[in-house]
Amino acid sequence: MITIRGMNIDLRKFQLRNINLEILENEFFILMGPTGAGKTVLLEAIAGLIPLMNGNIYIGERDITRLPPEKRGISIVYQDYALFPHLTVLENITYGLRFHSIDTTNAEKRLDRLLEVLNLFGLKQRFPVNLSGGEKQRVALARALIVEPKVLLLDEPLSALDPNFREEVRGALKKLHQSSNTTFLMVTHDFAEVLSLAGRAAVMNNGRIEQIGHVKEIFEKPASPFVADFVGMKNLFEASFHETYAVASGLKIEIGRIVDPSSNYLAVRPEDIIISREKFSSSMRNNYSGIITQINNQGFYYEIAVQTKDVSFKGLITKGALIELGLEEGIPVYVSFKASAVHVF
Amino acid sequence: MRREPFFWITISCGLVIMAFILLPLIQMMSAPSAGMLKETIRDKDVVRSIWLSIYTAGLAALISFALGTPLAYLLARSTFRGKRLVESIIDLPIAIPHPVVGIAILSVAGKNHWIGQIVSELGIRIMGSVTGIVTVLTFVGLPFYLNATKTGFEAISPRLEKVSRSLGATMSSTFFRITFPLAWRSMLIGLIMCCARAISEFGAVVIVAYHPMIAPVMIYERFEAYGLKYSQPVAVWLVSISLILFLLLRILTLHKVKEA
Amino acid sequence: MKKKFGFGLLFCAIIYIAVLMPFNTSFADVSGKVIIFNAGSLTIPLAKMEKEFEAKYPGVDVLREAAGSRKCARKITDLKKPCDIMASADYTVIDQLLIPAYADWNIRFATNRLVLCYTNKSNYATKINAENWYEILLKKDVIWGHAEPNIDPCGYRSVMVLQLAEKYYEKPGLFKKLIANRPKENIRPKSVELVSLLQTGNMDYAWEYRSVAIQHELKFVELPDHINLGNYKHDNFYKKAVVKVTGKKPGTFLNKKGKSCTYGITLLKNAPSTQAATTFLKYMLDPQGGLKMLREMGQPPFIPCRVPTAEMQARLPKALRDLVEVRE
Repeated sequence: MITIRGMNIDLRKFQLRNINLEILENEFFILMGPTGAGKTVLLEAIAGLIPLMNGNIYIGERDITRLPPEKRGISIVYQDYALFPHLTVLENITYGLRFHSIDTTNAEKRLDRLLEVLNLFGLKQRFPVNLSGGEKQRVALARALIVEPKVLLLDEPLSALDPNFREEVRGALKKLHQSSNTTFLMVTHDFAEVLSLAGRAAVMNNGRIEQIGHVKEIFEKPASPFVADFVGMKNLFEASFHETYAVASGLKIEIGRIVDPSSNYLAVRPEDIIISREKFSSSMRNNYSGIITQINNQGFYYEIAVQTKDVSFKGLITKGALIELGLEEGIPVYVSFKASAVHVF
Repeated sequence: MRREPFFWITISCGLVIMAFILLPLIQMMSAPSAGMLKETIRDKDVVRSIWLSIYTAGLAALISFALGTPLAYLLARSTFRGKRLVESIIDLPIAIPHPVVGIAILSVAGKNHWIGQIVSELGIRIMGSVTGIVTVLTFVGLPFYLNATKTGFEAISPRLEKVSRSLGATMSSTFFRITFPLAWRSMLIGLIMCCARAISEFGAVVIVAYHPMIAPVMIYERFEAYGLKYSQPVAVWLVSISLILFLLLRILTLHKVKEA
Repeated sequence: MKKKFGFGLLFCAIIYIAVLMPFNTSFADVSGKVIIFNAGSLTIPLAKMEKEFEAKYPGVDVLREAAGSRKCARKITDLKKPCDIMASADYTVIDQLLIPAYADWNIRFATNRLVLCYTNKSNYATKINAENWYEILLKKDVIWGHAEPNIDPCGYRSVMVLQLAEKYYEKPGLFKKLIANRPKENIRPKSVELVSLLQTGNMDYAWEYRSVAIQHELKFVELPDHINLGNYKHDNFYKKAVVKVTGKKPGTFLNKKGKSCTYGITLLKNAPSTQAATTFLKYMLDPQGGLKMLREMGQPPFIPCRVPTAEMQARLPKALRDLVEVRE
């Protein structure tokens, strides 16, 4: 649906380099990356709100690179909602209709449907200044969707909301996406959103795209150290590789398969690491003994840092398991993980 | 509640400033007798002169509005090399001594300058004419309108305009539906400032046009020829009429706020 | 250590002020500010005189304010502005507005005549001459003007020239037609302002004194003596021209009769710096001093200067009595 080829953007503060991206029709695509990676710039470039240095953007077969924003059929919802302060909720929502030739009955139908889905009936005559964050969010969505755009761009729509609301709005987003033909392209930091909403995603860093693919792939098979670190693969080590094993800081790690000897890094997800008081006799090929150096309360889980010789591993454990195993800082434990849990790149 | 010294300092400074501004003005406004004021306003030359001051200032404000609004928008929204230079140039008329402004405009308006040649061939007269007066007033009033309007535009988030465009509105639709309704108050303040500046201009105008006589020139003339007694009443009328006009304008706009 | 140094300095300063300074001034006894209200046409000559005089008498600061001569008088009589010397383009202004309340005597020191000035950019500049000037001034595409008669003698003198022209060239109605082609916008309070209008091309022709035209390097048309107000022999003809100007009080008027341009100067009765002012006048009215400068700048002086009666000569300050002769 959206194809970007060789796009470069050079603004004073931001640059995008050689962006190549393909998003399929009616996808829910997510864009991830640290602050300053250029995600908002990319969104605005797709919407036609900032100029390109070179490259092309296609919607379907149509080259929209030179098209002004009002002719692209792409709506955008900003992080701060950007509601028109001098118009009522109703006027805000129906703003775009006058620029698209839609007959009144059709328009009314669309309006009623959106008001219902987003629960906005009581707010029609209010002004944005009198709305809560969540209400503003919903109005912004309604405003963007009433014109039935081909593409909806969302710039961190949920980050300013209370955690309680986030789930609700997440659900609404999903519902809206499924009940329409619009392709959704969303920017977010929150992995829970990524995992629950998206099919495919891209990770950006410093104005470049580091990896594109299915969400599962990105999380489980990061293509670069940056992506690995970004998606929370905490145990990331530089290593030298020899056939079926690797050596990282003097530690031999079994990989169980032949890998490209020119690889430089390996990583293991913290969830894949088992911590035990006794040495595990199991099929896990990697077993090391070490001392617990840190126990960090992560809210729902505890992150345990274990120092083995020159390498520090980070694993996750539930509170129950923590108490059951009687884990404390300073005590000796064993760290185990499968060879297949080792990710190489 | 015990107040800090800081509080008292701010209050006293405020009072000093109020006194500084009001005392001379009150003195001037109360000096002429009611009879003197009546006689002055009956003088046709005085009425003509005050009217000339008002409508040339109004024209200057209108021209500033027409020419200045696009530039103010450009400066508010874009960055480009030399932007700071442009902004400094816009502020130049404020810094130049007023007679110098008059001399400069007169030099350009005469047949010895290529612009003056073209202007005179078109049959337009600058020296000693309403056109000349409006030219001078626009020159001195523009920066005030431009700066106020630019600030007004800057206060509006560009995201509002971007959303409007994404929803299908062209640049001009966006400007009239979104930007202008949010900025008009700043523009009005800019117009009032420009008008106020224009009505009070003397040094630049008197060089370009002695006749037709705007009110400040008449006040000065009367002062030089006959002294305070004959010039004060004209000043009182000019200040009173201007005050009423500006107050009216402010009330009209406040009214609109209440409606909204 | 510092204290000693400070005292030493103070001591030296006192010695210097008390002992050495008096030897530094040359004409130390004449000092102060001399305020002169002068006619616009005297600006350039007086500026030169100021320089020469202040070089001789460094303790004196000459401050000049130029304006139409009638305005100069009003500044003294109505606004009570402080002034030492008043130099008028028309000596009758001093007689009518300043004597006897503000001045006792009036020295006539120079003459002048009116010419029609223009530049090479003026319309019809190549065609104009002493015979056809009034026809050119009647043309619709010619912008010409003069000074304000109520404020500047050059103003009412210009109007008189036009009145005299009608009589001299025997063209009845000429004056009215000329005035009709000179809208109010072409009048300026001070005749000298017209010069910059000519130089920038905002005006084609302006009435000015011959001395001013020469001083500003303008082209000019010389008019016949009968109408240029420059030759006292034609006074009988000149007085046929009459212009109404504002009187002493607002609302009153007086009639000015044409007379040859004669400049007058006086020292005011309540002058703040009588001594310095008298010294200046002594320099200015000296045939080798100020008068010489006037002639060099195109304005014929009276050598020697004149007072009308012996009585008035007696009223002059001692230093000036020898510089004048009694002449009607």
